[in-house]
Amino acid sequence: MLNKLATGAAPLVLLFLFCLLGPAIWPTDPAALNVGAPLAAPSLSYPLGTDALGRDELARLIHGGRETLSVAVPATLLAFTLGTGYGLIAGFASGILARLLMRLLDALLALPSLVVLLCGAALLPLNRVTVGGLIGVTAWFALARVVRTEIMSLRERDFAQAARQLGAGPLHMARRHLLPNIARLLTVNATFLLGDSVLALSALSFLGLGVPPPAASWGSMLQSGIGLMDLGAWWLILPPGFLIAGSLFAAASAGRMFLSEASNQQTKVFWFFSSEKNSLPSS
Amino acid sequence: MGQTLTLSNVGVALQRGGRQVPVVENISLSLAAGETLAIVGESGSGKTTTALAIPGLLPEGATVSGQILLQGQDLRRLAQRALRKLCGARIGMVFQDPLAALNPTMRVGAQITEAIRLHLGLSRRAAWARAVELLNEVGIEGAAARAADYPHMFSGGMRQRVMIAAALACDPILLIADEPTSGLDADLKEQIFTLLARLRADRRLAVLLISHDMSLVARHADRASVFYAGRCVETGPAASMLRSPRHRYTCALLRAAPRLGGGVPAAIRGAMPEPEAFAASCRFAPRCDHAQAECVATAPALTAAPDDEGHIAACFYPATTPVAGMHVPSAAAPSPALSGESLRVEGLTVRYRRGYRSGTARVAVQDVSFQMAPGECLGVVGASGSGKTSLAHAIVHMVPYEGRVLFRGEPLSTLRGAALRRMQLVFQNPAASLDPIQTAGAAIEEALELGGLRDRRQRRARATALLEQVGLANSLLDRLPGTLSGGQAQRVAIARALAAEPALLVLDEPTASLDVSTAAGLLTLLRDLAVRLGVGYIVITHDVAVASVLAHRVAVMQNGRLVEIRNNVPS
Repeated sequence: MLNKLATGAAPLVLLFLFCLLGPAIWPTDPAALNVGAPLAAPSLSYPLGTDALGRDELARLIHGGRETLSVAVPATLLAFTLGTGYGLIAGFASGILARLLMRLLDALLALPSLVVLLCGAALLPLNRVTVGGLIGVTAWFALARVVRTEIMSLRERDFAQAARQLGAGPLHMARRHLLPNIARLLTVNATFLLGDSVLALSALSFLGLGVPPPAASWGSMLQSGIGLMDLGAWWLILPPGFLIAGSLFAAASAGRMFLSEASNQQTKVFWFFSSEKNSLPSS
Repeated sequence: MGQTLTLSNVGVALQRGGRQVPVVENISLSLAAGETLAIVGESGSGKTTTALAIPGLLPEGATVSGQILLQGQDLRRLAQRALRKLCGARIGMVFQDPLAALNPTMRVGAQITEAIRLHLGLSRRAAWARAVELLNEVGIEGAAARAADYPHMFSGGMRQRVMIAAALACDPILLIADEPTSGLDADLKEQIFTLLARLRADRRLAVLLISHDMSLVARHADRASVFYAGRCVETGPAASMLRSPRHRYTCALLRAAPRLGGGVPAAIRGAMPEPEAFAASCRFAPRCDHAQAECVATAPALTAAPDDEGHIAACFYPATTPVAGMHVPSAAAPSPALSGESLRVEGLTVRYRRGYRSGTARVAVQDVSFQMAPGECLGVVGASGSGKTSLAHAIVHMVPYEGRVLFRGEPLSTLRGAALRRMQLVFQNPAASLDPIQTAGAAIEEALELGGLRDRRQRRARATALLEQVGLANSLLDRLPGTLSGGQAQRVAIARALAAEPALLVLDEPTASLDVSTAAGLLTLLRDLAVRLGVGYIVITHDVAVASVLAHRVAVMQNGRLVEIRNNVPS
């Protein structure tokens, strides 16, 4: 079981390690201009070459990754919280409120998220907080819907009825029974959300609406590389493109691992929802 | 007359944890055309495994030994493909849960047609006509129109009829019916069995019936085989065998079945061993009151009983007296001083709206009134659809209702928190009533915590005491519901309900999903608890015998109305 866990999560772990430990292993300054070697092809001194201004591409990728994650991770957390919270409330609500919440969610789901992102990016001053916030606020609709459906089915189950008979209120129900029972689903969705956030940020940056320079992200690096495609500088296009695609793959792989692991055994991922740590089997 | 099916020395080993574990051994049976043979046993006895071995439907990794002859042809010698072809055409299977066996996205006619076209090679139109004919034969009214319906549009009993029609599609010579009526109420059970009897006579079908219900078997099977822990322990003509059983296990099984005027059903102590722990000697010996040194040393062979032909049993010390006199005398129904009033129900009506905005409503319970004294046990019996479960749900305020319900003098609608906790519901399906990711201990402790017991150590101690009270070891505290047996799970659910110190316990079919001997144990426990704790029960059940074991009074529901309420006369 540990093996499987490790294999599934390995790409994601590698990606994080690349970004977090990268500067320690390759301490070159990503902003240092080297006028003598613009557009240098990969070599021993520049493993991934340099860009038009002679900046070290590997160092820029590492720092671009940190920039990307520093926006995508908080955005994921925001989307996760919003989606889970809205789903919980909509799942608990009844009557007119329930219908209102659902119609609102349908309307939100109907919005093309890239267009909303672009509008937001055009209207707001661009920095990490606003960009991350924008991505988070536009990414949670599908999760909310999934959570609501699960909550609605769980709250009608016999064990939920039994807990109510014993006097459990909605908060107690959510914390002790509902969230722990969908923990697997939440974990999987959180992983997918991370991939989505990286992609959304890359798309915004590619269109020039991400975090403003000098901070670089993979999306903006890809964009500047494409501008120089005629010069045959493949090392400016392939690596950032590979990393964007790779992070999507890593998220999907980790998500699939959680799914398959949890389907044959309730993994301990749910523990953090439960204040009763002793509700875990001791084995 | 030639035998349709003959099993000789059949053994089955299943793959378990990487090892081959024998779960069934040395089974020899024979079944003639037009005959019904019942295999009786508790879950885990190997009856379903044996049945599945016949058409080769066992899971991957299973090995079968011995000989399985269908009309003289050895099925074990056939290649996979040939076996599938032969069995598809010659053997019809009816499963326990028709909803699971039928494809929900296919019209029932199409599902029957599928088999016909596959095995008989009829045209689409001819096959459809045949499907309608079959549905007609199994007693579905308006078969031509209903063939186009989907499985969920049929009621439970009708669905089982559809399953039977599908099983008959290719004119089989053998019908294997695995618990075909569990989950149906008494009326529907009778109807299905009448249908099976008619088909058997009309078509000269051989029927292999798998069941744990002794009384049904006695009435509907020609012969019966009792299985215990992978062995056949007794075989004989059904009626006489159940009247004067030889094997001690058969006797115990009969005593465990609740029956009208039969007193408290006697639970069989202990539990059936897991296949890994199967002994070479008599496997029932550890639970048997008559076991001697010989029983734990060697395995008894099947030997003929002196009384009648074909009655054989594997017991060193067989019973010699008929079972009729063997019921435990009724421990006179516990009768506390039934004075005062615990629950008063006046003009209770429950309506379910049919749709979102539609004005029409289905009336599930209509104008029901009764009252109960503290500590009284009221049985509520009725067929499925009579409104008894809706009544129970209204009393615990799980569904909206009209009318008045007073619990300990207060209207139910004004009760909050602690007062409401004095009334608890125990659900029909114990596994579903426990949170799958919460251990038994945590579930009970949660109930205590919600009752205001803050100290964790005290909660743990109280939970252990409660488990003990319902007859469970405290080693079960850390087990998840999925690892508990049905009987254990139901006891945990009862312990959780008792944690709220209820004055009234509403039990919704508490034994319906349990084995006979497990159910007997639970009934004994409930009766015991009623006396010790003075808690009152409302027992919802379709089994009058269950109500008669527990209740002081029995209320009869019919079409949503309470038609009769009478004193239960202890035998």
